[in-house]
Amino acid sequence: MVKTRYRWIVLFLTPPLLIYLFFVVFPLLSSFYYSFTDWNGFAVDYNQIGFANFEKLFRDPLFGKALTNTVLWTVAAIVIPTGIGLTLALALHGRNFIGNLYKSLFYLPISLALAVIGQIWLWIYQPDWGLINTFVRAIGHPEWSTAWLAKPQYALLGVIIAWAWQQIALSMVIFLAGLTAIPQELIEAAEIDGANYWQRVRHVIIPLLAPASVVVIALAVINSLKSFDVLYVMTKGGPFHSSDNLAMFMYNESFQKYNMGYGSAIAVVLFMITLAVIVVYFRQSANAEHLYD
Amino acid sequence: MSIKKLLLVLALLLVGVTVVAAQQEVSIVHYYSSDLGSATMAKLFDGFTAANPDMKVVDNSAGHEDFKTQILVTIAGNNPPDLFSYWAGARTQFIVEADRLMPLTDFWSDNDLDSIIPAGVKPASIYNGDVYNIPMNVHIVGFFYNPKVMAAAGVTSMPTTWDEFLAACEAIKASGVAPIALGSMNRWPAQYWLDYTVSRTAGPEFRQQLMAGEVAYNSPEVATALEAWKQLVDAGYFVADANAYDWTDAADQVANGEAAMTLMGTWITGYWDGNGLKPIDDYDFFPFPAINPDVPMVVHGSVDGWAVPASAANPDGAKALIMHMLSPDAQATWAVGQGALAAVSNVDPSIYSPVMKKAADYLGSVAFLSGYDLSTTPPMADAGLNMFAQFMNDPSGYMAYLDEVEVVAVDVFKK
Amino acid sequence: MTNTTERRTPSYRMAIFFYAFMTVLVLLYSLPSIGVLLASLKSTAEISEVGVWTLPRSFDLTNYSEAWNGGSAGLYIRNSFFVTLPATILSISLGVLAGYTLCKLPFRGSNALFVFFVAGLFFPPQIALIPLFRLFNDLGLYDTLWALILIHVAFGIPICTLIMKNFFSAVPTAIREAGIIDGANEWQILTKLMLPLSLPALAVLATLQFTWIWNDFLWPVILIRSNEMRTVMVGLASMKGQYSVAYGVQSAMAVYASIPTLLVFVFFQRYFIRGLTFGSVKG
Repeated sequence: MVKTRYRWIVLFLTPPLLIYLFFVVFPLLSSFYYSFTDWNGFAVDYNQIGFANFEKLFRDPLFGKALTNTVLWTVAAIVIPTGIGLTLALALHGRNFIGNLYKSLFYLPISLALAVIGQIWLWIYQPDWGLINTFVRAIGHPEWSTAWLAKPQYALLGVIIAWAWQQIALSMVIFLAGLTAIPQELIEAAEIDGANYWQRVRHVIIPLLAPASVVVIALAVINSLKSFDVLYVMTKGGPFHSSDNLAMFMYNESFQKYNMGYGSAIAVVLFMITLAVIVVYFRQSANAEHLYD
Repeated sequence: MSIKKLLLVLALLLVGVTVVAAQQEVSIVHYYSSDLGSATMAKLFDGFTAANPDMKVVDNSAGHEDFKTQILVTIAGNNPPDLFSYWAGARTQFIVEADRLMPLTDFWSDNDLDSIIPAGVKPASIYNGDVYNIPMNVHIVGFFYNPKVMAAAGVTSMPTTWDEFLAACEAIKASGVAPIALGSMNRWPAQYWLDYTVSRTAGPEFRQQLMAGEVAYNSPEVATALEAWKQLVDAGYFVADANAYDWTDAADQVANGEAAMTLMGTWITGYWDGNGLKPIDDYDFFPFPAINPDVPMVVHGSVDGWAVPASAANPDGAKALIMHMLSPDAQATWAVGQGALAAVSNVDPSIYSPVMKKAADYLGSVAFLSGYDLSTTPPMADAGLNMFAQFMNDPSGYMAYLDEVEVVAVDVFKK
Repeated sequence: MTNTTERRTPSYRMAIFFYAFMTVLVLLYSLPSIGVLLASLKSTAEISEVGVWTLPRSFDLTNYSEAWNGGSAGLYIRNSFFVTLPATILSISLGVLAGYTLCKLPFRGSNALFVFFVAGLFFPPQIALIPLFRLFNDLGLYDTLWALILIHVAFGIPICTLIMKNFFSAVPTAIREAGIIDGANEWQILTKLMLPLSLPALAVLATLQFTWIWNDFLWPVILIRSNEMRTVMVGLASMKGQYSVAYGVQSAMAVYASIPTLLVFVFFQRYFIRGLTFGSVKG
């Protein structure tokens, strides 16, 4: 019995593991290797320089800025899209035809490529004819209008909002799937026991949504830590690095300034940070996951 | 059962498919990816394959940034195209230093390119004493303006000195229009202001030393140049929030009469022509005025050329294709299609619009120097471009910005 | 439709308020998407004059025909399908295998292995471009759609494993035990019992994976050279020229590119949107 169990484990895990090792892990390991070199990306030759890239990293003011922005982005990613996505999913779950139409409309942003989303939001923030400035002028407050993405104090926030616009849809869809998987009997039982709507949401639905929440929050964390495309189209980390995040910083060093070794070191640090966050998070949510066991 | 099927599929995937080509292939990667650029390029390829029926051009184009990544990866991965478009200057130098480009010195002399490529453009091809980049076209940077706005402000003759320039700006401002549009969202459009203020005050020689890391960014000469630039910002001559706009927005502001002029490359004519504007009637050109009358005048711009990777599979095919692109017909087609100046001297000058003719004449009259991000090594250029964005946001602290940039320069040039 | 939230809505007035509020919200939320449609109906000259957010002067589909003919949208969309369909199916299949094993057949180190699988998500893929290019070049797969399929299968494994493991954890373990008592092996339990119960998760994952793979442009830019092999996202990205972008044509291409992903959503949504409650079949 135990033997057959292990035979199945090996049989089921070998194909994904092999492909994953070959096409994901080994190429990524080479970045670890390059992070200890001064490779510029083009050259045939490079030198082993030990931890010099990492030492430089912790002295680099751009790294501090990028790290701070990445943390801000991640916190925003956990709170905003998750909260709004859950609210939308609860409000729209199981509704009639109109509700389904709304779900589809809320889903729309997912079908757009991130580069396209970045472009649209550039048009929204455009200083002269952009939606936001047109709106504030229309309500009689032209003094509120500004060149949003050109201001270091607003640029990052502007990009995060654009990014969250799609992330909300993603959270909503995953929560909707989680809601449909909740046995109706459990909710009805709570209703018979006299629980009102909010009590049922808080004490029955949200705990039962734990598996979906793990996915939503894990995706929010991972997507925010790596977020690149929208930022790239909208500000490229500018003006003057005020909206840089770690992924942008890494890209700039590797592909703009041709410091491939240094860029690899940034990728390694980003990897370590994400790993730490996710391991802590999985530990935390482990209890919730074993709800049914 | 299904797992076996899965494994079978995977095995098949790994085997792959090899295509045996009957024709000789020349693979090319270029950054002329806009519909206009790729269509004109395709026309040139058709001409090439018509003349060489045994050759097939494998054409790939990508936008600016994707292109840069693609070239880096294919060269580092040892499967580069046979030739690729590349910016002459520090970017080409960078790949030459990495030993990844094929010297084309013999190709140059065998085909007597000295006879068709102007001596002023030739320096853009030479790196460490050898030819590595064959020019395709030249763009120059100067002031492109809206003649109607200028006329309305009473500016009838275009300024040639700094005092005249300031007077013109004042007159335009008084007429209720912003004199200068700049879209520095992507940073590089601001660089030409540094290029010209430095080379018009401290001179082209000093400017080249600055690009090579031989003089300091926080030297008095650079400060003087930025002071001239700052004077314009402080006087309110620039459209507000330059960092919020792309260069095409600035071009639109000039075209729509919201601003009088913009300091930009000749490619702006291609953009305006595409939007239906007419040269001379709707836009015109004048060179950046002199500031210090004692320094020689230069024109800044960029040279787009062709480079052949050291490990190119078909260098002969690449060279044949380059020669085809340098033919007078191909050059004329290209220059007109791109709004660029031809790289060779034997094209018929009547192909140019009156505005482009002015630009061509100016290029012929003074020495040529690349723009900032093509003149200094990429790690340095990034820090400099960043400073220009800072400057356009708030020029008052420029000395502090220069000190910061000098820290990077010391590191990059290992001073 | 038996639904608690609806039954609970106390009055007609509340329902009116709810739908009015949601209508405003949905309109606001859809504004950015409408921007693409508006831009796709305008010429570059019109955008440069009045911007994106005005009604087009005329209902002009030039951009659409230009994106289709000049931009080879048809060819690119076909290539995108050739890559996306197999890559979606394979990556989900592998994710199902890994997710099921790690969730329902725990063993010593299975949690660590789970983190190992998911860790692939934490790496910015740009940094592995050169090693992967070399790998595919050595395999002779550079400039083939196979390279794209393989890369998406491999890079899809982490996310598929993560999502499937978490949704399998919502399926009661008792179901598996009942299956074993009935004499079923693990393969039968997975395919006959577990997967039918995970249909909402599978449908979500299929929709998202399809969309993500479809919308990716990093890998095709790097791993494809021939124009005939390009995917629609590369076509979209390469409309950005050396100096300027034809926003109208690009928007038309973006609309074309999003139609297949929307159709996939419409096709799969009944499994996770309409509230068919598979989870309650055998509580």
